[in-house]
Formats: sequence, structure tokens, C-alpha cells
Amino acid sequence: MKQIIQQIFRSGKFIVGFSIFTTILLVVIVYPLLIPDPPLNIIGQGTFFEPGIYVSVFDSISSPQYTLNLDEAAAKRIASKLGEEDRLAIKEWLIASGIPEGEIEIENTEKLLDQWFENYDPAKNIPGMTNAKRNYFIRLNKAITGLLSDEGMSITVKNAETGVLEEKGTIVPSAYVNVNEVPNVRVLPLGTDNFGRDVLTELVAATRVSLQIGFVAGIIATLIGLTLGLLSGYVGGVVDDVIMFITNLFIVIPSFVLLILISFSIGQDQRGAFTIAMVIGFTSWVWTARAVRSQVISLRNRDHVNLSKLSGHSVVHIILTDILPYIASYVVMALILQISSGILAEAGLSILGLGPRTTEVPTLGLMMNWAMIYQAHILGKWWAYFPVIITIALITFSMNLMNTGLDQVFNPALRD
Amino acid sequence: MKKVLYILSLLVIASLMLTACGGGATPTPAAEEAATEAPAATEAPAAEEPATEAPTAEEPADPNELPRNETLYFNGQQWGPVVGWNPYSNSNNNAMAIAQQDNARVIMFETPYLYNMLDGKQYPLLADGDYTWNDEKTEVTFKIKAAAKWSDGTPVTAEDVAYTWATHVKWPTPTGEANKDYIETIEAKDAQTVVIKAKLGADGKAVNPLLVNAYLSSNYVIQKAWTQTLEARSADVTAFLADPAEDVVYSGPYHKFFADDTKVVYVRDENYWGQDASMWGKLPAPRYLAHTIFKDNAAGTTALQAGEVDVSQQFNSNVQDLWLKDNLPISTYLPEAPYGIGASLPTAFFNPDSYGLDQVAVRKAIAIAVDYPTIIANAMTNQSATFDQVPRSLMNPTAGEQATYDQAAVQDLQWAGNDIEGAKALLDEAGIVDTDGDGWREYNGQKLTYVATCPNGWSDWQAAIEVVAAAGKEIGIDITTNYPEWSVYQTVVTKSDAALPEGYDIFMMWSDGAGPTQPWSRIRRLMSSEYIGMASNWNGNWGKYSNPEADKLIQAIPVESDPAKLKEMYTELVKIYLTDVPSFTLMYRPQAFHTVNESVWTNFPHDGDGTNPPVPPLDLTDGWSIAGLYNLTLVNP
Repeated sequence: MKQIIQQIFRSGKFIVGFSIFTTILLVVIVYPLLIPDPPLNIIGQGTFFEPGIYVSVFDSISSPQYTLNLDEAAAKRIASKLGEEDRLAIKEWLIASGIPEGEIEIENTEKLLDQWFENYDPAKNIPGMTNAKRNYFIRLNKAITGLLSDEGMSITVKNAETGVLEEKGTIVPSAYVNVNEVPNVRVLPLGTDNFGRDVLTELVAATRVSLQIGFVAGIIATLIGLTLGLLSGYVGGVVDDVIMFITNLFIVIPSFVLLILISFSIGQDQRGAFTIAMVIGFTSWVWTARAVRSQVISLRNRDHVNLSKLSGHSVVHIILTDILPYIASYVVMALILQISSGILAEAGLSILGLGPRTTEVPTLGLMMNWAMIYQAHILGKWWAYFPVIITIALITFSMNLMNTGLDQVFNPALRD
Repeated sequence: MKKVLYILSLLVIASLMLTACGGGATPTPAAEEAATEAPAATEAPAAEEPATEAPTAEEPADPNELPRNETLYFNGQQWGPVVGWNPYSNSNNNAMAIAQQDNARVIMFETPYLYNMLDGKQYPLLADGDYTWNDEKTEVTFKIKAAAKWSDGTPVTAEDVAYTWATHVKWPTPTGEANKDYIETIEAKDAQTVVIKAKLGADGKAVNPLLVNAYLSSNYVIQKAWTQTLEARSADVTAFLADPAEDVVYSGPYHKFFADDTKVVYVRDENYWGQDASMWGKLPAPRYLAHTIFKDNAAGTTALQAGEVDVSQQFNSNVQDLWLKDNLPISTYLPEAPYGIGASLPTAFFNPDSYGLDQVAVRKAIAIAVDYPTIIANAMTNQSATFDQVPRSLMNPTAGEQATYDQAAVQDLQWAGNDIEGAKALLDEAGIVDTDGDGWREYNGQKLTYVATCPNGWSDWQAAIEVVAAAGKEIGIDITTNYPEWSVYQTVVTKSDAALPEGYDIFMMWSDGAGPTQPWSRIRRLMSSEYIGMASNWNGNWGKYSNPEADKLIQAIPVESDPAKLKEMYTELVKIYLTDVPSFTLMYRPQAFHTVNESVWTNFPHDGDGTNPPVPPLDLTDGWSIAGLYNLTLVNP
């Protein structure tokens, strides 16, 4: 046994696959310990917040302030509100207002803004202007008003008794806070989804559930396939005929279609994650059964099996001690493949809206389903679906790698 | 020998098949070439000499290559192939042309009046001047415009109006069935004058004058002569309603140009009577109206982004990103959230037969605990006014409806949501507490557990239902969600003659939008017990709420004309609704989403566009919003 494990761990492919898989497993186990937030908690009011560090505005105002005199600060501030396109749009407006083109310097911010504020009139229509453009100018005007001012902004608080605004302090453009001193900072490495849930927390929880679904489905499928394969292969005769008849029936029906039909007929209120796993398991055992059967048939007439028969051992005993150990490596590999295809099947089902119920647990498929319903792929909200795809790909990739690695060790034809 | 024959015959068959394939393959590229060449040929002269294009207008354009500068593209209305053009039927699946409703689609068939949801008034279309009720309030009189003509050139007469109604009653059409309890007859006094006699109650007054008014702006006038041809060829009512009516005579500015399972195109009638100075004085700007049949919302949004759709009537989530992030020339009616005018109130209904939901405390606790700001921000992506801006009542956010009730009188009853503590206190007070320590409350020893539901794939509703379920968890009531398919959902929810099955404890449906009978009709459909017991109830009150006091008020409002009394009655109804909480509004939703791409056309209706009367932000085809079609101009003429 020890030797086999040593052999396995000498296979490069297996090691890569195994380390990816254990990393995923570790993250799934450790992350909830560090960040115990419920994964389905709606934290964001709004959809698809971009990944980033969110600093409480309210708390930063009352945090200790530091003065940093940075040269580019003003330029950066201006650039964030007044881009190249905005300058060109201002020029367009000024020309339409009758300013000669020669007098407009779009790089001279101060002059440009002076001219803008002198000439801009929200009620005015320049020829060929659409409503979208008119709205744009209104927004632009709002954004650049006070852009060049060095004066601070004042913080006022409403007096609860009199209702009068009282100034509590001012914030100058050179004031900074140290993020470490702001009590409320939330890092959202993968932003939020359409419900305003933290995608990373949800992804970790979903990976765990999807792995569980994969394991349950894989174990069920492998158990059924193994039992039927062993029986039909070893016992043969009528038993073999009957089992193979059923197996062949299932082979010609595409299992995913079967899966869709069963999930649909169960009805969504009954579809928990575990039910889905069972359904997947019960529809994907056929290939395992066939493969095990053919392996068993070739083992059936080996000398040690015949010897065991002669010694009067029972069928169960022979199957368990003389046949199973010889196909164990194959079964393990089949199990790994079943697990990964179980995870894929759940994702496929959920994308069709036939996955588990949504309020209880997140799954990788459900995350993709909601991202699709909310058109994340069209709106460019990559963080809502891309990490999910990567996770699914990594899980199946690592399992397939492990499988190939095992194959190299156990399959005499591939052994070098 | 047999074998040789066999092989030979196989060879022959194989060669036949090969030649068949080959023969088929060669002409195809030629056909394709011809197809691609044709539009190029028509486009080239257009680009060189735009002046000569007008005379060639008689030539039918290729429906796949409509001139972009003459075509207004839509999305969000037509989701499958058009079935027919029969204005008597309501199963034409022809949403752009045939929709008899408060804001009736009037591109092909026309109503006497056009309803304007912005000012709540009805403006004459086929009619000449306003309609008048007689002093006894028993009949309405209006005249038909002398200029109004059918597409075959004959004038529209009062007789057409009368015959249309007679036909609705004779062949019981949906329209006839819906109105015959309120309209006695429609008669032609002379060629121009129409008299509508209302059904009278025991007191000698009209049963429901409001619905008679609404009839005038929601139902088409259909030509008598054509109706008679249709009647002549219809064996029974099924055949009458199922007739595709390709030969229909119409009075509107557009008619069928092309329809298949990929698109539907309507072309302008150059002889449209509305060019007369007594109506619009000109033709609508686009020569073609086209609606590509998109697979889903996502496909529609993509087309809108690409400038292939001008007027979008579909929910585009985070619509502001289209102009803020993508810098597209796209705009909505209002430049800032809520981007449109809320008109309808998507509502969650309680099933009073579910265990514990017969308790007002439970219903109200759930309703006040729901996080409405999150629903509005996440599910509606801020395309709804908040309940802080427009406090909840039975009225939509339009100024006209908000003025119908006394806001100060119901202030104590209104809630803005997220009131977890208040909800807990309410339940504690009612003795509904967690007695066995499992974190969930029990009523008389039985755990409160509910399923909240809405149709699958209705993304904004689903997200709203998720938020409702989350609120339950906060206050110790176990709410899970479930999304059946619409085909199942609709049959279950609209069956009002039996108790709702398990899994429908809290469910979402719509309420009326804007119309000439509002807010009365919406209130009726939310609260009136008259719908209980119907086998197929598409009207409302799906939670089967019954309150005799409310019923009495709902009956009394249509015949009341004193504004002060009306206000009192409406206020009372709002009070009852907010006290009993038979259902609760989750968000405000526009009558129609109105997002426009100004790549080709501009001057769409927007807030403060200076139109008088104001053009409402609908689809430019329904009710008074069709006036917008006459205002459109090209961005690059």
C-alpha cells in the first residue's frame, strides 16, 4: 500500500492535480473560519459592485486626518472628472456658442472651464443635440463645478433641536486618512453579485456545496455502477443479460436529458442540494457499470479466481477478495471522474434553472444562473461569473489530472 | 450474381445521392450573391442622390434591408410570430398593432379618444371634440371627425362605432363580455354623432360611468363593411375570433408590411387621414416601424447597445451604465433614478388560508420587515421610486393619483420597510413567539413556515421575492422561495374558486397601471371580493381578500362626482388596505420601460421636452404617446 502511494506521488500530473485540489479544499475549509459571514447575506444595496476596497465615507470623516502635499493630486482630481473626451465635448459646445475655435485651448483647464461656465446654459439647445447629449452636459457641468477650488468642503451637522446646520469642520483637498485607522473598511476582492452579496464569500460556500454534490453524486453513481458491473460480469448468464439490457437502455438515453426530465418533475420546492446530487448519481452510473463488467469478465477466469472457486468460497467472498482488489484502482479513477462530472452536471442543471432551490445554499451553477439572468456577461460584470467558471474548470481539471496520473501508475500499458 | 447486383445498386444509389448533393450545392452561392447584391444596388443610389429617393418610395423595400433612416426599431413587445390582424380577437399575438387597453396601441386601429397617463386626460383621435354626459348622467355623446377615413377611402362614421359594439355583443368577444354590464347600447344619431347609453342601476343612474369613459379610449372603431364580410365567412364565434383578417380595413397610420417568425414590420399609409389639419396635420416621421423578435431580454439589450433598436420597452438592468460607462447615446425619460414614471404596483399577495397568515400581525410583520430599499436598488436597479419618496398607498406615483387621497391622514399606517424591531414587537405583542427555542416563531404551537413564489425567469420579481424571504429570517419566520414555470404559476394563481395549493403562501402578481379609471380600478382589483369564486380570475385580488366595507366603497366611487367625498372614500380605502395588509406593494414599476437610443432618431419624449400636452414615456404607439411619433427627427438628416 505504502509503495503504491509512493508510486502515485511520483507522477508529476497527479501531484499537480492533487495540489490544486487540496488548495481548493483548504480554502473551502479555512476561509469560513476567517470570514464567518453568511454567504447569502445581502450586503450591497445595488447590483454588481466592482471588486475593490470599500472605505466608509462616514468613518473617514471622523478619522484622524493627515496633510500630504502631493504634486499630482490636483491633476489627478481633474483628470478623474474631466477626461479627453469631456474636453472635446466642451469645445464642441463652445464652438456652437459662437466662440472662435482659435480661442479654445482644450489643454488649458483653467481657461477652458472659465469659458464653459460663462457659456453653458442647460436650457440651450445646440443644433443636432440629442437628449442623451443634453443629459451628458448636465452631468458634466455638475461634475466640474468647483473642480479647481482649493477651498475645503465643510462638514455640517443638523442640530436636532433647532434644525439649523452647524459647521463641525472642514476638509481641505490635501487631507488624507490612513485606511488602517478607518474602523470600517470592507475588501470585496470579487465585488458583489446581482443581489448585493459578496461574491468571494458566496463562491467559497458554493464550491463547498458543489463539491459535496459532486461527492454524493459520484459515490452513488460509482456504487451502483460497481455493484451492477461486478454482478453481471462475475455471475454472467441471465443476470448479465438482464443487467446489460437495462444498462444499454440507459446508455441510449442521453443522461443529461434524463437528468433534466427528472429534476423538472421533482419540482423546485423539493429540490435541495442533496436531492439534486442523488438525481445526478442515479443517472450517471451506466459507463461505470459497463467498464467494471468488462474488467471483471477478464478477471473471472484467472487462476486465483478458479482456485478460490474450487476452495468453495461464496460468490460474495470471491468478488470482494479476489476480484475487487484488482479493479480497485480503476474504480478510484472512475470515482474521480464521476465526481467531476457530477459538479459539471449540477452547474449545467442550475444554468437551465433546474438546480437546487436558491435561498438555502449557493452552488456554482446557481451563481452562474443568476449572473446570466442579470445579464452580467453582456454588461461586462466579469466578477459575477468568471471566477465561478475558473473554479469549476480548476476542480475538474485537477481531478482529471489526478486521474491521468493514477492511470499512468496503474495501467500497465501506460507504465514506463 | 445477386451480390454483384446488390453492390451495383448500392453504387447507383450512392452516386445519385452525390449528384443530388452536388446539384443542390452549386446554385446556392449564386442565390446568396443575388441576395447580397440587391441591397447594395438599392443603397448606392440612395447615398449619391438622396433627392431621388422620395419618388422611388413606391417600390417595396426588402424587409431585411429597410432603410435605416426611415425605420424606427422597437424591442420588448413582440416575443413570437404574429398570429393575425383581427381587431375583434385578443389572441393575435400582435402587440405592436393590436392592444385594446387603457393605453391602446393605435398604429393600425384607432380609438375615439387617446388617454394620456401624464395628465390623466383623454384627447380626441377619431372623435371630434370632447364627449359630454347628459344631465341625468345616463348617456354620453360625441362626434366623429369629418376627416376620418378608412384605408379604403370611405369615411369613418358613427354607424361604424355602433356596429363595432353590436358585433362585440353579438359574437361574445372579450371586449363585449367585459363591458356589457356597463354599456346598454351604442347608437348612431346621425352620420357623425355617436350616443352611448350606459346600463342603469336600480336608482336610474349609470352603473359605472368610469368604465364607459374608459371604453372610449381603450376600444377600437372597426369598419362596419369589413365586419360584415368577416361575419359572412365565420361559421361560429370561434371562427370569427380565429380569423387572421389579412384583408382587414383600418384607419390608423400604419399597416402590415411584413411578418414572419423573425420580425414584424409595419409601413406608413401615405394617405393616412390624420394628415388633415383637424388632427396631426402631418404624417408620423418613420416610414417603417419594425420589431425584431428577440430570443430574450439579453438579446434585446445587446441590440439596443448596438443601435439596432431605437425604442426599448424592456427591463434593462442598470440602465444608467449604458450612458455612464459605455458612453452610448441612450437616454430615459428622467435623466436620474428612477429613470421613468412609476405607474403600476407589483404586489405580493398573502394566501389567507396558509397557517398563520390569517393573522394581521403576521402579515403586517412580514410586510414592514421587508427591505424595500434593497428591492428597489437590487431587483429594480433603482428604476423605481422609493417608498420614502412616494409613501405606500394604493395609488401610483403620478401626481394625479397621489392627489386623490389625504396623505396626512394615513401617515401613521404607512411603512418604508426594514423595520425589524417593529415587526418583532408586533409579533411578540400578538403572542406569536418562539416557544421551543429553535429560532422560529410558532403560532399556537405550530412553526410559521412559508414559501414565497413568483414565476421562474422573471428576474426582477425573483430578486424581490428573495429579499422578502430574507426578511422572514430576520424576524423568526421561515420563508423559502420557489419559482414555478409561468405556465403552471398562472393557472394556479388565477383559480379563485378553490384554495391555493401548498407553496403559494406569499406570491407576486401585478396591479393596474395608469388609465382613465384609476386609481379606482386598481383598488378594485386589489381589494374587491367580487372576483372570489371565479374559475379563471385574471382581474385581481388573488389573495381572496374580503371586506364588506371596502366592497361598499369600491361600488360607490364610480357614481360619486363630488371631489371632496371621493377623496374621503379613497383615503378610507387606503386606511383599510394598510391596516389589513391583504397584500403589499414591493416596488413601483413604469407603465412601459422607455429607453431610447438616439443614434438615428432623436426628439423622443423626455421630462421637460416642452410638449403640450406632455407626451408620456410609453412606446410611441400607445395612447397619447403616439404623438411622439410625429415629433421625431433624424439626428443626421
